[in-house]
Amino acid sequence: MAKAWEVHGLQGDLRFEEAAGRVILTRWREMMSFREGTLAGEDIEELHAMRVSSRRLRAAMDAFADAFPSRPFKRRLKRVKEITDTLGDARDLDVAVEGLEAILPEMAPEERPGIEALIAEYRDRRADENRHIVALFERLDAEGFADDFERWVARRTGVTVEELDPQPPARH
Amino acid sequence: MAKPRPVPGIDPHRRIRPNARRILAVRIDEVWSYEPFVADPNAVRELHDMRIACKRLRYLLEIFAVAFADDLEPFIDEVKDLQDLLGEIHDRDVQVPMLAEHLEELREHGDVAARRLVAQERRTRVNGGSVSEASYRSFRRRLDAWSRADQRPGIEALLARRRQERDALYARFLGEWARLRDEGFRARLEDVLGIG
Repeated sequence: MAKAWEVHGLQGDLRFEEAAGRVILTRWREMMSFREGTLAGEDIEELHAMRVSSRRLRAAMDAFADAFPSRPFKRRLKRVKEITDTLGDARDLDVAVEGLEAILPEMAPEERPGIEALIAEYRDRRADENRHIVALFERLDAEGFADDFERWVARRTGVTVEELDPQPPARH
Repeated sequence: MAKPRPVPGIDPHRRIRPNARRILAVRIDEVWSYEPFVADPNAVRELHDMRIACKRLRYLLEIFAVAFADDLEPFIDEVKDLQDLLGEIHDRDVQVPMLAEHLEELREHGDVAARRLVAQERRTRVNGGSVSEASYRSFRRRLDAWSRADQRPGIEALLARRRQERDALYARFLGEWARLRDEGFRARLEDVLGIG
């Protein structure tokens, strides 16, 4: 599982709203860093990492919900939830295929056709999920969601993404 | 999925800790609100909601850990283990009815296909087709091919495997929950957070 990015300047004595800005913007950039890899669809771990990051972002938004006015917050949370759910559907199928492929060698010959047919069905459905992911990001781009999200968090918390400069953990 | 309960008294202008205490107190209580359902293996929805409550609590502990002097990592690990176990149970609770339904469809289709094969053979004979050794071998070949392509044994085996796994996972969950209760996990967690 991809390691969570460090939240710069997060200390116990921060005000709740400033902590909200720092954590949410870091998790946002962390999630978006896997976007291109996910859309390329060549490595299922990219999608997995993006989904994990999107869940971290949602958790951060839930934790700090009270730092934001309710209605605009819910609108943006709904979009983030859409990302998590869409990636989740694809991830569930990846996991299902991996699980079935792992048990296939243990199955008796007469049991294999059923498992192989199930794997084929899941692969077909997974291809459909790719189309859903591409469509979702096209819609978010058309709405200018990324810029809107970063500006809105900055306005509410006083933390800008430029000042925060979130970075991935160093690779060793 | 159960929605998180609202947390009264949050002040975004105050520091993290007093706000985190209020939020965590409510989320801890949410997890333990499912305790009456723990002993019921058929409480599928409640066990799923309990998993979601554990997930919320775990992420909050991770996010707010910075505001507390004590190391929350051992508590986070316990909640994560519980969440994972409930997640594994939930996966089976989703898969088992889906596989059972799939099997039912295959049985219906399989019966139709087998009847069609036998009827085809019967028509051949009624229409004066020979009942020679070669004809019988041809019928057996088609029957064997149909049998080899039969998906039902695989789905039956998978269904049995998933049911066994569910039973084993639930037994593990019961053991883990009893251990946490015996170790006073909730009271210790609330103590390090300064709740109550």
